[in-house]
Amino acid sequence: MATTVLPRPKQYDDTFFKPISIWLTTTDHKLIGIMYMVTSIISFVIGGIFALIIRLQLSQPNLHIVDAETYNQIISAHGVTMIFFFVTIFVTGVANYMVPLMIGARDMAFPRVNLLGFWLIPVSIILYYCGFFTGGSLNAGWTGYAPLTEKAFNHGLGVDFWALSIMVWAISGIMASTNFLTTIVALRAPGMRFSRLPLFVWAQISTSILLLIVGAPLAAAMILLEFDRQLGTQFFTTQGRPVLYQHLFWFFGHPEVYVMILPAFGLVSEIVPVFARKPIFGYMSMVAAMFGIVFLSMTVWAHHMFTVGMNTYVEGFFMLMTMLIAVPTGIKFFNWIATAWWGSVEFTVPMKFVFGFLATFLIGGITGIFLASVPVDTQLHQSYYVVAHLHYVLFGGSVFAILAGIYYWFPKITGRLLNRTLGEWNFWTVFVGFNGTFLIMHTLGLEGMPRRIWTYANPAWATTNMIITISSFLIAFSILLFLINVVQSWNHGEIAGNDPWKGNTLEWATTSPPPPYNFERVPPVRSFMPVRDLREAGELVEQEPVLTAT
Amino acid sequence: MRFLPPIYFHLVARSARALITTIGLAGLAFVLSSCDLGGLSPIFPEPVSPNGKDIYDTYFYISLVAIAVFVGVEASLLWVVIRYRRSRQPAGYVVPQVHGHAGLEIAWTLAPLIIVLAIAAYSFVELQKNFQPINNQEMTVKVSGHQFGWEYDYLNGVVVHQEGSLAAEVTPFVVPTNTLIKLQFDANDVIHSWWVPSISGKTDAVPGYDNFSWLKIDKPGKWRGECAELCGSGHAQMQIMVQAMDKADFDAWMAKQKAATTSPSPSPSPSPA
Repeated sequence: MATTVLPRPKQYDDTFFKPISIWLTTTDHKLIGIMYMVTSIISFVIGGIFALIIRLQLSQPNLHIVDAETYNQIISAHGVTMIFFFVTIFVTGVANYMVPLMIGARDMAFPRVNLLGFWLIPVSIILYYCGFFTGGSLNAGWTGYAPLTEKAFNHGLGVDFWALSIMVWAISGIMASTNFLTTIVALRAPGMRFSRLPLFVWAQISTSILLLIVGAPLAAAMILLEFDRQLGTQFFTTQGRPVLYQHLFWFFGHPEVYVMILPAFGLVSEIVPVFARKPIFGYMSMVAAMFGIVFLSMTVWAHHMFTVGMNTYVEGFFMLMTMLIAVPTGIKFFNWIATAWWGSVEFTVPMKFVFGFLATFLIGGITGIFLASVPVDTQLHQSYYVVAHLHYVLFGGSVFAILAGIYYWFPKITGRLLNRTLGEWNFWTVFVGFNGTFLIMHTLGLEGMPRRIWTYANPAWATTNMIITISSFLIAFSILLFLINVVQSWNHGEIAGNDPWKGNTLEWATTSPPPPYNFERVPPVRSFMPVRDLREAGELVEQEPVLTAT
Repeated sequence: MRFLPPIYFHLVARSARALITTIGLAGLAFVLSSCDLGGLSPIFPEPVSPNGKDIYDTYFYISLVAIAVFVGVEASLLWVVIRYRRSRQPAGYVVPQVHGHAGLEIAWTLAPLIIVLAIAAYSFVELQKNFQPINNQEMTVKVSGHQFGWEYDYLNGVVVHQEGSLAAEVTPFVVPTNTLIKLQFDANDVIHSWWVPSISGKTDAVPGYDNFSWLKIDKPGKWRGECAELCGSGHAQMQIMVQAMDKADFDAWMAKQKAATTSPSPSPSPSPA
């Protein structure tokens, strides 16, 4: 049969610009996910450098490494970078990569919204850092309390760039959340009922609902602040209601903590069953606990404001709701332990990080109960105790889980394993460095060292601060090992095969890295561990590996 | 590629673990043996005002529960690490495929619920006792924060100006001992927070409305504190000093201040006495 071979049209892809054009224009959720993750890791490094400058400045009394104004800009940039541009962006990225794979979809529901949502993030980051080149960025802490951020006390453009940056960020977050929810509702594979969704996907549902609700109030707070600054309104000024800003900000700010930790919970819930070779304990109570957290997290914001002078009954309400969060979190915690109990637990690097997460996040949770108690909080609020607590939650919690997730899913994303020896070094140094930094930091707060002070004269705090600074450099060393490992293993790591860990969920049924269309044929889904079911029934179709040893 | 031969890593890991255990135990022994030693205190300084003492007790009682929970959960994690690691399981160990247990799940829902309700109730009683605005005070002082210092208005014409400084000791806010003093806070620029850990918790000084606290110091002495709310580039220098004197000494000090205020050339900073 005669066939006409059409001349292949010259595509823009054939040119020198091919790699660039692919990354700039792709709507593939996996490439967008990688871009999210790489962007966030760059932010992590920048935020980490800020942290080291802070630690140098505080290592001894009366130091002058940076001046007070620069110091205030650096602590603000550290907070904004780590919270807005690192943790939240990383968990969005990993979800972007994994959620469609885990539910057996070809892509996100709105691929171009996904692309736009991602590119707003670099815009947001650049907007924020513009402040540094226009006479000083935000200098009022990452929370940017009014009236310190008002025109009367802050003439520079830094605050304006920050407010704009956060508005753009909130829009991006709302886009991503809408996209995740639609994808999960509409694009699940046949058989993937809601009762069979992997817990990481459930975590993404709860996170998206949360961000969808609280993203708008954050943008509103920023818009009102800009009205004050640019149009002369009096919402949060000395003549207005400065505390209103705190209400709006923390209505976003506290749920944001859960936007950062719920995906981490999801990650842990995926990793523990795989390496313990047991199904997750109490699947339904895990899901219920997540929604309990979503609901409660929106009723606790004023626990950041126990010293502003509210009615004691109002304070009592926020205290009770805050403490109640310990209940769903406790359920999750005990279920994880019960999952590993009686198991055959393999302590690979991701599992080590998960146990590091459990050991440290517990401390953050317990100190949270102290801080929730109004009388005790009036002592601990705005002190280094709070700094230690929030790092136990965000570093010991989210970042340990993120590292676990990277070690766990790196072979899926690149087809290669991260080096195990370096991984072990990474885990032990960061575990020791982290606890060396933040465990004794609690005592500084108890002794009366307020947070966000540029320097101090009290000689009693010197030794503790020195130990903290040395430990913080151990964390930096550990992160350096991690970065070397990622860069080294990306192209030269050991070939992983499609399913190195014998995983439970659908992403392990396809090749590593997955093809642009994800699955040639979506495997049947009969429980929340579809790939494990198939493996045990001997029905798992081995995909031809993409990477082979040379 | 491997950066280090595995044998070397295991040696280092083993000695590192031994070192960590030793340091950990030594640290624990140190903390337990020297609870009031400056540097690594597990609780804030013993307060000199009754509201501060109640906070101290609340912190202490929550700690008892917290330590029990901490030890229990970390021990069970450790037990999983020691007992259920794959290398410890016998060859051919069949992992029981447990999906959950309603009784257990209900138990570990109710146990934390009861614990936090108890802590919340205890804290709430303490909250009602010490954090209501009072009106049986023997003296009222208006405390006003500004960038970067405090003004203490005794409402009798005497005002102590406490300008912030890290280089020298700041002018003390002088109070009589065993006197219930109501503190009325406000600020005239940004938000500040008045915190002297040895007296009691902090109170925000917010522009636009008055915030309240009180103190009743039981012995003469000097206590330092700091502004606890980031208020600008001079935040760190916004030191606080409170000096308590016996009633007679205080009256003498106050008389001196009044004389200075009514004299033709009023000095803004009173002598520290």
